[in-house]
Amino acid sequence: MPTFSLKNDRLLEVTLMNEKVSALAGAMVAYEGQMKFEKLVLGGEGLFGALRRAVSNEGMPLMSTSGSGKVYFAHDAQTISILPLQNEKLFIESRNLLAFDQTLRTSTAFQGLRGGSGSGFFTTTVEGNGNVAVFSDGNLIRLEVSPQWGPLFVDPDAFIAYKGNIQQEFHFDVNWRTMIGQTSGESYQLKFTGNGVVFIQPSELKS
Amino acid sequence: MSNTAATLYNPSNLPSNDNINDYSYCVDVRGQMFVRNGKMIAYYGQLRFEALGSVGLAGLINRAFNSASYVSDFIVINGQGKLIVGDNGNNIASYNLENGNLTVKADNLLAFEDTLRCQESVVEGYLTIIGSGLFLASSCGPVMFAVPPICVDEQALLGWADTPCPSYRYDYSYVQSTLSHIGAMVGIGASGEEKQLEFKKIGNDDMVLIQSSESNLRGRDMLEKILAMLPGLDHDDAQAVYSNLYNRIHGQQ
Repeated sequence: MPTFSLKNDRLLEVTLMNEKVSALAGAMVAYEGQMKFEKLVLGGEGLFGALRRAVSNEGMPLMSTSGSGKVYFAHDAQTISILPLQNEKLFIESRNLLAFDQTLRTSTAFQGLRGGSGSGFFTTTVEGNGNVAVFSDGNLIRLEVSPQWGPLFVDPDAFIAYKGNIQQEFHFDVNWRTMIGQTSGESYQLKFTGNGVVFIQPSELKS
Repeated sequence: MSNTAATLYNPSNLPSNDNINDYSYCVDVRGQMFVRNGKMIAYYGQLRFEALGSVGLAGLINRAFNSASYVSDFIVINGQGKLIVGDNGNNIASYNLENGNLTVKADNLLAFEDTLRCQESVVEGYLTIIGSGLFLASSCGPVMFAVPPICVDEQALLGWADTPCPSYRYDYSYVQSTLSHIGAMVGIGASGEEKQLEFKKIGNDDMVLIQSSESNLRGRDMLEKILAMLPGLDHDDAQAVYSNLYNRIHGQQ
């Protein structure tokens, strides 16, 4: 399995031994050893998967890196975190995906209607055993979702990913004051219930 | 890997009125609080968000928010819960006032408790917080605390506490050069640092807050600045900007 480690909090180091890793196209900053970089035809999800991405606007310009040695990835000096998956499914905004073990399966999942944040109706899923590297605007914050804490509400632009047995809903804090045009700016949030972990960034700008 | 990134937070172990990391802060909301519009990133508990113009908040506004120019910048959060605020990855610091006053740059004020009173400062673009309670301010880079007398670059100034009275101070050579027309024409003395804010020491608790950067907060007015600069581009430059933006929007490198 390719080894993921952080050279510093903004630089990802992946060690490959005749293995493959998928990464955001153009995110490679340096490499040691023998490496080959190829555009992932149809995003590695086959024709149907590529069609779904085209339709769902969860576009992921990915490249495949293969070989032996060390390869370094970074993106706009954003903070990078490694999320290890153990037979789990991660629901992630494709805009925050930096690199992942190519043995992991990716797909798109319908998440229902999502308002003005522009993140679309779909989210990307990454499933299996291996590492995923995500980037965020500031250090990633992990929040636990459990029935004992009640629902967790998150600003759609701060949301990055979740895993576990979680239900996601759209929460509209609309009252008659909002209706007459005095919006609080927080009238629409993501609501998470169930059991699992939600990952957010300390920023409401899209990274 | 930083420690905070590995911690799994829930309402029982989230900091109570403290930073989660440099860029995010967790507030224990019990009652009412003013927060800058759109800076909530997550919360547990029962919280409601209301615009300052809402009917029913008139008493609160009258008591705590005496700053007509900034009404649309803040909302009122009501209820009980753990509120996490973030500000575009800007550094966040908290300040506890006890029967005191602190003046901060209006753009940098992030949140304040309803036990405090917020008024417009005589220095334009600054708000004075008076009373006792907690407030949050964001800054571009960590905040440095300095004791007057001190001269500060206008862009780096975040605020000041107690009684120091800021006034502009010009370098002598700059004043000279503007006095002579020739000097003004050739731009002598334009080092970029010829005009500073000078703070005199008056009280014992005087304090000046300086951010470690001369840039504005991330995510504030950047679009306005860019749009204002666009008419100055010639055709080739505009083409270069267009293709750069096109590639960025369509996710190519």
